[in-house]
Amino acid sequence: MNIVVDGDNAFVATGGCTFDPKKSTVVFVHGSGLDHRSWALQARWFAFHGFSVFAPDLPGHSLSEGEPIKSIEGMGKWLVKALKVSGCESIHLVGHSQGFLVALEAAGSLGAKLKTLTAVASATSIPVNEALVEAAKKAPSDAADMLLKWGFGSQSQSGGSAVPGMQPIGIGRQIMSNNPLAEDLIACTNYQNGINCAKNIKIPSNVILATEDKNTPYRFGLELADLLNAETTTVSKAGHMLPMESPKNTLDAIKSFILKNSE
Amino acid sequence: MGKSSFFGPETISLHTGYEPDPAFGSRAVPVYQTTSYVFETVDDAAALFNIEKGGHIYSRMTNPTVAVLEQRIAALEGGVGAICTASGMSALFVTFMTLCSAGDHIVSASQIYGSTATLLKHTLKRFNIDCTFISINNEKALKEAIQDNTKLVFCESIGNPGLEVSDLPKISKIAHQNKLPLVIDATFATPALCKPFDHGADVVVHSVTKWIGGHGVAVGGVIVDGGSFDWGSSKKHPTLTTPYEPFHGINFWEEFGPSALSMKIRAESMRDFGPAMSPHSAFLLLQGIETLTLRMNQHVKNALKLSKWLLEQSPVMWVNHPDLPENPTYEIAQKLFPCGAGSMLCFGVKGGREGGAAFINALKLSSNLANVGDSRTLVLHPASTTHSRLDDEAMKASGSSPDLIRVSVGIESVEDIINDFKVGLKAVEKATS
Repeated sequence: MNIVVDGDNAFVATGGCTFDPKKSTVVFVHGSGLDHRSWALQARWFAFHGFSVFAPDLPGHSLSEGEPIKSIEGMGKWLVKALKVSGCESIHLVGHSQGFLVALEAAGSLGAKLKTLTAVASATSIPVNEALVEAAKKAPSDAADMLLKWGFGSQSQSGGSAVPGMQPIGIGRQIMSNNPLAEDLIACTNYQNGINCAKNIKIPSNVILATEDKNTPYRFGLELADLLNAETTTVSKAGHMLPMESPKNTLDAIKSFILKNSE
Repeated sequence: MGKSSFFGPETISLHTGYEPDPAFGSRAVPVYQTTSYVFETVDDAAALFNIEKGGHIYSRMTNPTVAVLEQRIAALEGGVGAICTASGMSALFVTFMTLCSAGDHIVSASQIYGSTATLLKHTLKRFNIDCTFISINNEKALKEAIQDNTKLVFCESIGNPGLEVSDLPKISKIAHQNKLPLVIDATFATPALCKPFDHGADVVVHSVTKWIGGHGVAVGGVIVDGGSFDWGSSKKHPTLTTPYEPFHGINFWEEFGPSALSMKIRAESMRDFGPAMSPHSAFLLLQGIETLTLRMNQHVKNALKLSKWLLEQSPVMWVNHPDLPENPTYEIAQKLFPCGAGSMLCFGVKGGREGGAAFINALKLSSNLANVGDSRTLVLHPASTTHSRLDDEAMKASGSSPDLIRVSVGIESVEDIINDFKVGLKAVEKATS
């Protein structure tokens, strides 16, 4: 569906079902340079099992219009506005990597509407190597290559795919190469407020981590889980691109946590 | 530019898509000779049917052995995914039928395989899908042929049998200016010699029966999705960008973006038309793909050496190979095929049809048959076989002629191929003296 936030059209994937703000809504926030498609194999399950799904493309990304937002704090504010426009009443917030930083920022403004918070392959801060940022400024596809080579775990590098016949690295590359990757990476580097936000989270939290995550290393994910006092799931032989490279494990971990906290 | 693996082509050919199975540690890809797959629960089955999760349901749509071949080819081409089919022709049919509906139109190169020409000219016409044929490197003709209802531009990267190389960067630019995808049949090239996605193609089709399989033991096709075409902005393919009723109104573009086309092909065409590749064929073709790069190097080396030798023989009237300056697309071939423009060559001998027949009948090592891309050297007279359904004008437009002998140069010792051809040329001399 399309909504208007700050005067710009924003695309929000709804998992293939009509969005109903009265239902409990699972909000999926994508990572740097990505879009709602990184959640393709999680969002549909929720949409067809009694939830509403709200998976936006951040401004300037894929199907959303507008200029990319330059800070995580700004993205968080945008997400809060988008959720307000949509009238969501009960929210389960899920973020991948940068998307979790955005979720952290948004969490403080959602009050009692926010029921749970889930981090997928993330940490309280995600500083990015300067060489990668420079590459992203010059040629997003080169930077996407660096990120994906680093970001997918060993099994996916040799071609493991949950969807028969598909190459998830190729899909990620196509999405990232056409999105404002440099702006996202700079926003991640500049973000310093993660620990403060995490300390204020009092709702049930969930952290899903990958043992081969090189972008937000496993131990930083464990520190985040500790700070949030979160339920933790570890996926072995997977890397940073968890929702795409290990969609079933990611879905199972999100699903069991949200179902448990929806009773 | 497409890239979907960080391994080199030789490594992809051997490893991509498969890790030794946890049950028995089989190093080779097992043949999963099964029609169907046990669901964990009823909910699990429902999730699979509704594309809420990935996995196998029924081997008409997907099969684990076939999926390895699909991923390997997708990675070699730099695509986002691939779908194997029962033959190269079914891969083309599925591609056309996924992108076109009744009332639509295709612009195709005239320099194409005879059966593809027949499909486009006659068979699809019965479904009210029209086609305009043009000389593919004629930019003006291409621009003029595009209509409001055109849904795709089609050509072969190396035309069969005329061996004209399509100028992919120029053709793709025109196609994209008109918001159309460029579909390439790259059978004659394989990803070892040219990756069409790097030159602007959007969909690549192969008959994997040929060089990719390489051993002449299994028939198959593949459609590789480049993932770069913006179906959403194009708005010319509503079956990809509007709700699709059979899957709860799924919008493939919104849901899957770069892989919209391959997901649609899998969900609709493989389900409804059913041209599935058998797991056993996939296994045989996987044996071939393991050595693709090595074989292609030898193929092109032999083809060039044989071409140059033929040029020096008196019974030979002309020789055509894209790497010979005499070929009208030589310059394009040099740009797009730096490692050699394939192993197909054509030549004409004295005495036209009679001379050609004498040549082919005298050969011992080379095989007279209707296939190309085998490891062995194959010869054929297209005017009597693959292109026999074309009238003279269409045959000329396709780059063929009554005296043309088509050679798919194998990887035997090139001296042995030359010795065999010497016998053939002696027979030509005898027949025409």
